Amino acid sequence: MGGTPAGGVPVTGAPGRRPSPSPAGGPPRRPPTPQGSPVADRLGGAPRSAADAPTERVRARAVAPPVEPTQFAKPVFTGSLPPAAATRPPQRPAPPVRPRTIDAQTVVIPRVGEDRDAQNLHGVADADDEYDVGDEDAVAAREHPEDGIGRKAVRGIGELLITAGLVVLLFVVYEVYVTDLVSAGKQDDVTAALDDQWGANTVDGAQREAKYELIEGSAFAKIYIPVFGPDYKFSIVEGTTDADLEVGPGHYVGTALPGEPGNFAVAGHRVGKGSPFNDLDLLNSCDAVVVETQTGWFVYRVLPMEGEEQGWAEGRGRSEKCANVAPMKDPAQPGGGPYAQTVGQEIVSPKQGEVINPIPHYEGEVPVTQQASLLTLTTCHPRFSDKERLIIHATLVKQWEKNPDKPTETPPELEES
Amino acid sequence: MYEWIWRHLPGPLALRVVEALLLVAVVVTLLMFVVFPWAEPLLPFNNVTTE
Repeated sequence: MGGTPAGGVPVTGAPGRRPSPSPAGGPPRRPPTPQGSPVADRLGGAPRSAADAPTERVRARAVAPPVEPTQFAKPVFTGSLPPAAATRPPQRPAPPVRPRTIDAQTVVIPRVGEDRDAQNLHGVADADDEYDVGDEDAVAAREHPEDGIGRKAVRGIGELLITAGLVVLLFVVYEVYVTDLVSAGKQDDVTAALDDQWGANTVDGAQREAKYELIEGSAFAKIYIPVFGPDYKFSIVEGTTDADLEVGPGHYVGTALPGEPGNFAVAGHRVGKGSPFNDLDLLNSCDAVVVETQTGWFVYRVLPMEGEEQGWAEGRGRSEKCANVAPMKDPAQPGGGPYAQTVGQEIVSPKQGEVINPIPHYEGEVPVTQQASLLTLTTCHPRFSDKERLIIHATLVKQWEKNPDKPTETPPELEES
Repeated sequence: MYEWIWRHLPGPLALRVVEALLLVAVVVTLLMFVVFPWAEPLLPFNNVTTE
């Protein structure tokens, strides 16, 4: 196959090729010629010839194809050398290096015994070799990669892992943002329903009774926390199931109702689902939590924190906000009385349901009439975890009936900030 | 996986891009409105009530 093209090469190749190797190689030593003389053997003649023989073969194989395209416009071989055939001819005149190497490969090399030259050429030939010999395979591999099972498996696992990471990220987005949107819609719905109900229930002039329609999942009151801003307002629904809490803060079934003696306990989400109780940890003692029902307003204030009780009356207790707020521990009684453990904020384990008892953490019997009216808010703690619960206790400091003649009247505590 | 999907999308490049984006949108929607709401209660992130 190399015969015809090689014979035709001389037109361009011969001039450049012949001179270059002959000066370098000196006397053309044909490798296989066994000299027989011991000197020649000692000089490495025999090994060299042995080494040369394979390189020649390689070169011949490597060289023959690249030359062909230059000779024949579009012969059979163009397909085998897509990039080389296109780029080589124009380059040939400009850089003298390339043509020489090619030429040398075709004709001269067999005769050259020079090591340096041979190595140099060999390197070039090798480069060509890859192109030429593996050409069809390489092209095929590039277009239709046929990877082994191991490669495919590793890539598949990698893709799966990346996908899993993206899904987890998406879940965070869902939890923090998307649930907010869904919950905002539901909260709007129950608020609208509650407003309708309150508006329709107006009895003209007459004093309305404090009556609640407690339907699980439906709103029956509104909660305001003025320090969180004038727009902080949620409708409290009855029940604390997941579905209820998706709508808004939920009232623990069976606990006291707003204003009643006992413990009006409300749970709310901290992250996502409207995040009603996101900032509960920022509440300080004496901050107002206002609850509105159909018939009245109830102002609760956060109890003194643990550690603030000492010197409360002389210190923080003297501020205007803290009127009617005092530590519930009774120093006159041994152990502080039933309310000894009732403080403004506490962090408990999820199992400690006693925080929503009529008297938090107290199992004993106390007549209802002697119970304080408390408000308890529960949410998860720390943020993004449900390892613990953050609990806020507040006490009722003020309440009054709504005036049917002035339905838009609001308590001044709502203006606090 | 992704390469396989890409190779099996019909049409020219522009159409393929649109199809790929559409596929992504479908998957994200499914996750957001079917899978995540189902999985969320099973995960220990957002229980706020005491027992």
